[in-house]
Amino acid sequence: MPVRRRQKDLNFWEKIYIPEIAKGLALTFKTMFKPKFTMEYPEEKFIPPPSYRGRPVLVQEENGEERCVACGLCSRVCPALAIEVQAGETDREKERYPERFEINMLRCIFCGFCEEVCPEEAIVMSKDYELAFTNREDAIYGKDELLVPVKNLNERINFLRQYK
Amino acid sequence: MPKFVLNGEEIEFKPGQTIIEAARDYGITIPHFCWHPSLSVSGNCRVCLVEVEKMPKLVIACSTLAAEGMVVHTESERTIEARNAVMEFLLINHPLDCPICDEAGECKLQDYAYQHGVGESRFIEEKVHKDKRVLLGPYVMFDAERCISCSRCIRFCEEIAKDPELTFVQRGDRVTIVTYPGEQMDNPYSLNTTDICPVGALTNRDFRFKARVWEMSATKSICTGCSRGCNIEIWVRNNEILRLTPRYNPDVNGYWMCDHGRIDTFKFVNADDRVDGPHVRREGKLVKAGWDEAYSAAVSELKSFAKDEIAFLGSPHATCEDNFMLAKFARSVIGSKKIGFMRKEDASFGDDILRKNDVTPNTLGTEIIFDSYLKPTLNFNGILEAINNGKIKALFVMEEDLAANNSEIENILTKLDLLIICAVNFNKTTALADVVFPAAAYAEKNGTMVNFDGIIQRLKPAVATLELDRALDGMAMSRLDKFGTHYDRWAQGKKRDARSSWKIIAALASVMGQKMKYDMAEKVFEEMAASIDVFKGLDYDKIGESGTKIKFEPAAASK
Amino acid sequence: MNYLEIIVITLVKILIIFTIMMLTVSYLVYFERRISAWVQNRLGPNRVGWEGVLQPFADVFKLLLKEDIVPLVANKPLHTLAPILALFVAFSTYAVIPFGPDITVFGYKVSLVVADINMGILYVLALTSLGVYAITFAGWSSGSKYSLFGGVRASAQMISYEVSMGFSVAGVLLFAESLRPVAIVEAQSGWMWNAVLQPIGFITFLVSAFAETNRLPFDLPEAEPELVGGFHTEYSSMKFAGFFLAEYANMIIASALIVTLYLGGWQIPYIELLGLPSWLTAAIQVAGFFFKVGFLLFFFLWVRWTIPRFRYDQLMSLGWKVMFPLSLINLVWVAVLIMIFKL
Repeated sequence: MPVRRRQKDLNFWEKIYIPEIAKGLALTFKTMFKPKFTMEYPEEKFIPPPSYRGRPVLVQEENGEERCVACGLCSRVCPALAIEVQAGETDREKERYPERFEINMLRCIFCGFCEEVCPEEAIVMSKDYELAFTNREDAIYGKDELLVPVKNLNERINFLRQYK
Repeated sequence: MPKFVLNGEEIEFKPGQTIIEAARDYGITIPHFCWHPSLSVSGNCRVCLVEVEKMPKLVIACSTLAAEGMVVHTESERTIEARNAVMEFLLINHPLDCPICDEAGECKLQDYAYQHGVGESRFIEEKVHKDKRVLLGPYVMFDAERCISCSRCIRFCEEIAKDPELTFVQRGDRVTIVTYPGEQMDNPYSLNTTDICPVGALTNRDFRFKARVWEMSATKSICTGCSRGCNIEIWVRNNEILRLTPRYNPDVNGYWMCDHGRIDTFKFVNADDRVDGPHVRREGKLVKAGWDEAYSAAVSELKSFAKDEIAFLGSPHATCEDNFMLAKFARSVIGSKKIGFMRKEDASFGDDILRKNDVTPNTLGTEIIFDSYLKPTLNFNGILEAINNGKIKALFVMEEDLAANNSEIENILTKLDLLIICAVNFNKTTALADVVFPAAAYAEKNGTMVNFDGIIQRLKPAVATLELDRALDGMAMSRLDKFGTHYDRWAQGKKRDARSSWKIIAALASVMGQKMKYDMAEKVFEEMAASIDVFKGLDYDKIGESGTKIKFEPAAASK
Repeated sequence: MNYLEIIVITLVKILIIFTIMMLTVSYLVYFERRISAWVQNRLGPNRVGWEGVLQPFADVFKLLLKEDIVPLVANKPLHTLAPILALFVAFSTYAVIPFGPDITVFGYKVSLVVADINMGILYVLALTSLGVYAITFAGWSSGSKYSLFGGVRASAQMISYEVSMGFSVAGVLLFAESLRPVAIVEAQSGWMWNAVLQPIGFITFLVSAFAETNRLPFDLPEAEPELVGGFHTEYSSMKFAGFFLAEYANMIIASALIVTLYLGGWQIPYIELLGLPSWLTAAIQVAGFFFKVGFLLFFFLWVRWTIPRFRYDQLMSLGWKVMFPLSLINLVWVAVLIMIFKL
């Protein structure tokens, strides 16, 4: 940590400030010609690391069924109340499945609590960040938009297993 | 009264009380699964173990009688250790089903696992697997893996429903519950077992997976299935009734209610055939109309009849307030004393547990109001006869399906020139009506009903209508209701354009030129209490959550 | 020359200068964004048109289409007047700044200044003082505490720095023995630039100019972290744009003034020795003037992204305890120069 210098510790040239300003100006002038870091977005896309929390999605098993059992914990833990789940009964071994699963992307704050609380590893945060809508209805994602095949989500699932 | 020491404090007990009962009366709940205040003691769950000084081992609080001078510890180190051990033992074979289990959120095992559980299991072997979806009867679903063998359901069927149907079979970790051979769990009180089941082993098939417990709001109200008027809670999510559960009231229903009341008395409120907005008959067809339009249509039609040609039919399904307003309308606006109501008795319905043969919830209240306020000149049968004779040409019916399953009455009603009706659902009677006003169902309004025993009880709104706002009108709200906006689908629900019958009648009176200004049901009740002796001195606060017995003449009710 | 010709010539000059000012102001905004981006290793606006050169027009369209929001508690006449006043002051100051020597166009002798008035410098000082009213009005009439703080800060700051600014100018006037900007420029022929002769005065004037234009490091009236947006918190749409344009127009004036007073105006040392035709000399001199102004404008932006904002008490103590004595010392220095070296 740099030592804090009081005014009385400064020498004359530092006190009159002008040479220091000149030094600063020289630095900023040099910086102007350095390479830029800007990512030119629509042409260049940001590829997030697995730790990125993009839009939450539902995991779709290889046989096409959802992993979710509609326990409603994500809905309960969601601080923004973005998730609505309606459970239904099936003959599958898990008995329960989400008849309707809706995430209001206008409410979602991408906190990832739903993913953290999920007992089935059925809802995970994906890498999608391009979320734009032209009306409120479009912002409510149903099961058809939310279900993503598990093979596209393995990276995040492995990340979670490692760190959760 | 004798005394014993509980956790360092001396408390009184009635002779014959067990430790758990005495502690409960004092306000301390000792954890328990198999013990239930109105069932016999079985003592098999062992979670209520407490330490009693000078006894060599811990004893179970549910079957140990309290004795003078006893010193009991419920929070001592030994007790807690024992409780933790019992919990660990119970959880060994209990599946991790909470995410798919309907009991989650109101589960005793879940609660105690939080409070007394050690947090992790030392049991690394595979859990025992048993049958998961067994239909024991028409409504009760059994999951054998979740069962902790407390035997509450078995005892309930034997002792309360008086119809032994269930029993344990096998032993050790293979123990499970089955119905007796050739029997089904089909007693009329079977769903109470799902309430008393401390885990999710017995669940209500009708409610299965409909909603999580914490998503619903619970409103204290009463059941309208028969004249018992069991105290219930109405569970609502997204403005839709999802289930009814009994509420403890020792004077009316104890802890229980029957399956009919639980299953069959709320679906019509959610149904699609609800009258949504007023309807007026035009060119032979009922078409939707605005409120003012319907009021003026009804009034202009009514005015074209002489007062002797108009009769009124109240309803034992409607509240006291509704019937009182109808009587007041008949007396002071029309000047008619032709008022009656249709009784419904079903000899096959009643039993000596809770169910009564009189299947309408407010028979006594309606009778008291009509008899003491109006002294009707014609009763129900008399009115029908007069319609048949052509003496009565206009009929105002409130919340009653007269024509249901009775083609004779249907034929009589066709002879009317004018039939105005306040109805909750479209039915055979509304098909004959000229003006149909949408009446609020029992779960959408404030009001009172008098049960067969003369206990007056409160109905409270649980479902919002267009005119009744959940937040503004102080209805029970779940978390979703509190934080939802009208952009959220889960908070919108379907709201019907329906009003309490008394409101409709008061508005009609105003259109007729006689101002009746009541802004809420309580005001109607106040006036009713002032004008009818039986209700004198009562108000909504005095009735409270568990009702009050009114002073009525038994002679009037004994018919 | 008859009156008609004078009026026509003046109108043409006003039109030219106004157009140049508007364009420069818009592009100053563009350059500010690009330069700030470069200093931070970013690219800045480069999408609208080639390398983003049409960005200013896009910005103007956006601002024109925005809703004009006036707070309910605002004093509406003053709220509307403030941005107009700010713009008026900024543009009318430019009338007395000379940007080239006299030239001959179509037989007319034309001086490259809109109004060559005798007390030009006083006119500039008077008008810039008026500018503080715009900000104070804006702050007071908005009915918001942040705006009010911004307005109060602005008035205190501008009054404080006007003192040292005035004393610095006094040094220049002593040399030129005139209040006419053209005369001041002409007095700095060769290398006799005031910046060389009186460096202390130059620095105090430069610093005061930063303070007067509310530019970083002295943008206390709109200090975002403390005052939301300062005096223009409650402005939107074109009214906001008015303040925005005025700020940049003020920068141009400040630069032009510094060039006129200290950097020899359009003068380029020893250019007459090259023996070029007079029209070419004049053109080079005008170009030289614009180059100097351009460099100073770049300097404004450059300083903004180099030096952090002063604290309010630091600003005040710098103004009164450093700049004011320095400008007095400068005055003495100039007097000494004149007395000893008979300049």
